[in-house]
Amino acid sequence: MRRFLLLIVILLFGVGVFGLSAQEERVLVVGHAESTDSLDPAHGYTQTTGIINRVTYETLVTFPDADASAIVPQLAADWTVSEDGLSYTFNLNTAATFANGDPLTADDVVFTFNRLKYVQGTPSFLAANIASVTADDADTVTVVLATPDPAFLANLAANPFAITNDAQVTENGGSAAEDAVTTDTAEAFLNGTSAGTGPYVLESWEPQVETVLVRNANYWGEAPYFDRIIITNIPEAATQKVALESGEIDIALDLTSDQLSTMGDNADVTVATTPGNIVHFLLMNNDPELGGPVSDPLVQLAIRYALDYEGYKALWGGITPASPLAIGQLSAYGEDQAFVRDLDQARALLAEAGYADGFEITLSYPIFTFQGVNMETNAQKIQADLAEVGIIVTLNPGELQVSLEEYRTGQQGFAYWFWGPDFLDPIDVLSFLPSGKVGGERANWTDENADQAIIDLRDQAAVESDPEARVALFQQIQDYLRESGPWAAFLQPNVQTAFRSDLQGYTWHPQWLINLALLSRVE
Amino acid sequence: MPIYLFILRRVLVTIPLLLGITLVSFLIANAIPADPINANLPQSQLNNEELVAAFRAEWGLDKPPVEQYFTYLNNLLHGNLGRSIKTRQPIAEDIARFLPATIELATVATVFGVTIGVTFGIVSAVWHKRPIDYAVRVLGLVGVSIPVFVLALIGLTVFHAQLGWVAGPGRLGARTPDPPLVTGLLVIDSLISGQWNTLRDAVSRLILPGMVLALYIAGLISRITRSSMLEVLGLDYMRTARSKGLRERWIILRHGLSNAMIPVVTVIGLSYGSLLAGAVLTESIFAWPGIGRYMFRASTSQDFPAIMGVSLLIALIYVVVNLIVDILYYFLDPRIRAT
Repeated sequence: MRRFLLLIVILLFGVGVFGLSAQEERVLVVGHAESTDSLDPAHGYTQTTGIINRVTYETLVTFPDADASAIVPQLAADWTVSEDGLSYTFNLNTAATFANGDPLTADDVVFTFNRLKYVQGTPSFLAANIASVTADDADTVTVVLATPDPAFLANLAANPFAITNDAQVTENGGSAAEDAVTTDTAEAFLNGTSAGTGPYVLESWEPQVETVLVRNANYWGEAPYFDRIIITNIPEAATQKVALESGEIDIALDLTSDQLSTMGDNADVTVATTPGNIVHFLLMNNDPELGGPVSDPLVQLAIRYALDYEGYKALWGGITPASPLAIGQLSAYGEDQAFVRDLDQARALLAEAGYADGFEITLSYPIFTFQGVNMETNAQKIQADLAEVGIIVTLNPGELQVSLEEYRTGQQGFAYWFWGPDFLDPIDVLSFLPSGKVGGERANWTDENADQAIIDLRDQAAVESDPEARVALFQQIQDYLRESGPWAAFLQPNVQTAFRSDLQGYTWHPQWLINLALLSRVE
Repeated sequence: MPIYLFILRRVLVTIPLLLGITLVSFLIANAIPADPINANLPQSQLNNEELVAAFRAEWGLDKPPVEQYFTYLNNLLHGNLGRSIKTRQPIAEDIARFLPATIELATVATVFGVTIGVTFGIVSAVWHKRPIDYAVRVLGLVGVSIPVFVLALIGLTVFHAQLGWVAGPGRLGARTPDPPLVTGLLVIDSLISGQWNTLRDAVSRLILPGMVLALYIAGLISRITRSSMLEVLGLDYMRTARSKGLRERWIILRHGLSNAMIPVVTVIGLSYGSLLAGAVLTESIFAWPGIGRYMFRASTSQDFPAIMGVSLLIALIYVVVNLIVDILYYFLDPRIRAT
């Protein structure tokens, strides 16, 4: 019996030494809490699908590696937009080929957009405004919209618009016809094979276990560093932390900030910090019944001067946005344009408004911690900041759903909230302008009580599609929001990711979170 | 009574039991006041009445509940568990994919747990009310009381991340090649294909989650073993055995333990059943793709066919485990053979 046990021990721990020797292949192991049921670009619309499809597919246009500050070419070499903002013509990049060797043609774009629209998957709403897609010739495609949408190019950078191989997908049950919702059966195929032009191809996806990507041998662009990427499903963040510390995984995508804070002294692990795209702000209701003193534009400006912007950055890390438009988006002002604390200016403005001795006000906010930023802590700091200029704040924390309901129905006079853009185009900030989703409904900033100047800017920005004119318009909007309007944006907190210290090239992106093709290992 | 008749009788009894379980799980699944349409159709399709109707027809949700139930039973009789709404795969395939991971883990945990539990129980009974008895009982209590997820995380941090004695979470490391699929049990499959590295990795990854689950059942088993042994050790035939001059070890193991095993076997059976039914927390922390996690996902997305399928599977597991326990009784206790 003992001899038998000894034999087993030798088998288990001894023989391995003579097994496979060091692997030549460059392998990247990613720990991630998988959250998808589909890798088909027309069906999957989750973080996981976005991360994987970012490297297996490509889109006509995309964003720069680190932010959404511009629209840059990818599969389209260049494009033109018609005067009326309805018609977009793209010249395709003739060098581009699919992973199976097929060249990219205009038909593939037509197929992809129509399939997305008609298959009625979760992300199909993105294509709802497309009236028609036509191939003008093999390398030119024209998209006509039903109504002008200046954010259309930004939407095209989203993964559902990833260009799929027409012939390959059709062969495997794909359909882009109007009845695609019932006739398209290509999802199962696309869950096992990627029919795209990206630097990697999907080798296998075992749901809830792991996804394996291998380098696309036919890639038309610059080859990525890693030969193979294994995305292993680790649902628990605490387990990801352990696996990262032991070197089982190279990068952990779902760690929470309290876990990251304990990893600082581990030399094997690097914690990368980047400003995210969430903006924390104060809402000062324009309705005097609700806002009281904070509905006064002079008080609104005074409060902007009174906040200790550096203090919030010291608490959480991050940057100070110049307006509710997050830094990193097209045309967004950088931190150099942001407010700087000036208590004398704040006091002078309060005196001018008739509140030389200050006033009392209640601040509403939810009991909530978002991406590691505890709103309770910030509320207490706001209370302390404003006390220095004589504004006595009573804190009114609310249960998230209750407070959210009050906020969304515009019942809060003075409130603290945060905003994450719905999509990465500056047009998103129009929500904060008069009669917008946040401006009108929540802060009672309406066409009736707002300046005509900002109303005009808003109306022009909503339809202008010329890139240069757009930048100019959004800068004017930001100039206006600096001095006026019911907002005090005070913090754009950092997001953090941890990875093994021998990994390089990590860049956080507000759209796809991480581009795995940019990573490499220090050798 | 011959063994085959005994088994046949037990199997026949399980049929109404399983029927009852299908009924109860069907009723519970239907009693949830939420529409699976909302959980499973994308927003863009919810407003399209035709598509919603097609979805209801596809999954039989447009029929009256009684008809739904009988359709389900009819499919079941033909060996068809239906398709999962969430994964869109046949449930039987899903179960076949996730169950081996759970079987492997539950088996290892039970082996560990029984070894530790029975040993502790015997030690505790033989040295009754001595310091070692108290020590073992406290250990048992600790095993039962510490939450599994605490043990799991401490285990991973200490034995994997810091000491490096065992491999990390998951059934296999991402860099370890998978063995060709035969049984789905990685230890067996890698033995068959002779992939020693894979085998070593698979075994190393079983130890920690196996121990975590084992500590819990070991506490129960050691307490049952102790009390059952104490009862047996005081009986007349033990004194007889001693007066015959048998060796003490022989007396305790042959005369004592084998007679004390009946209640212990019951607890072992139940524990094995409950481990197979899914140790959701342990599977989650160890990134173990088992049936517990599958069931959790099915419940949160109101995937009725999957919930029904897994409920039935769990019931079946208990029935089979109980059957095995009864068969063991047959061998352990001659009186059962006589009746």
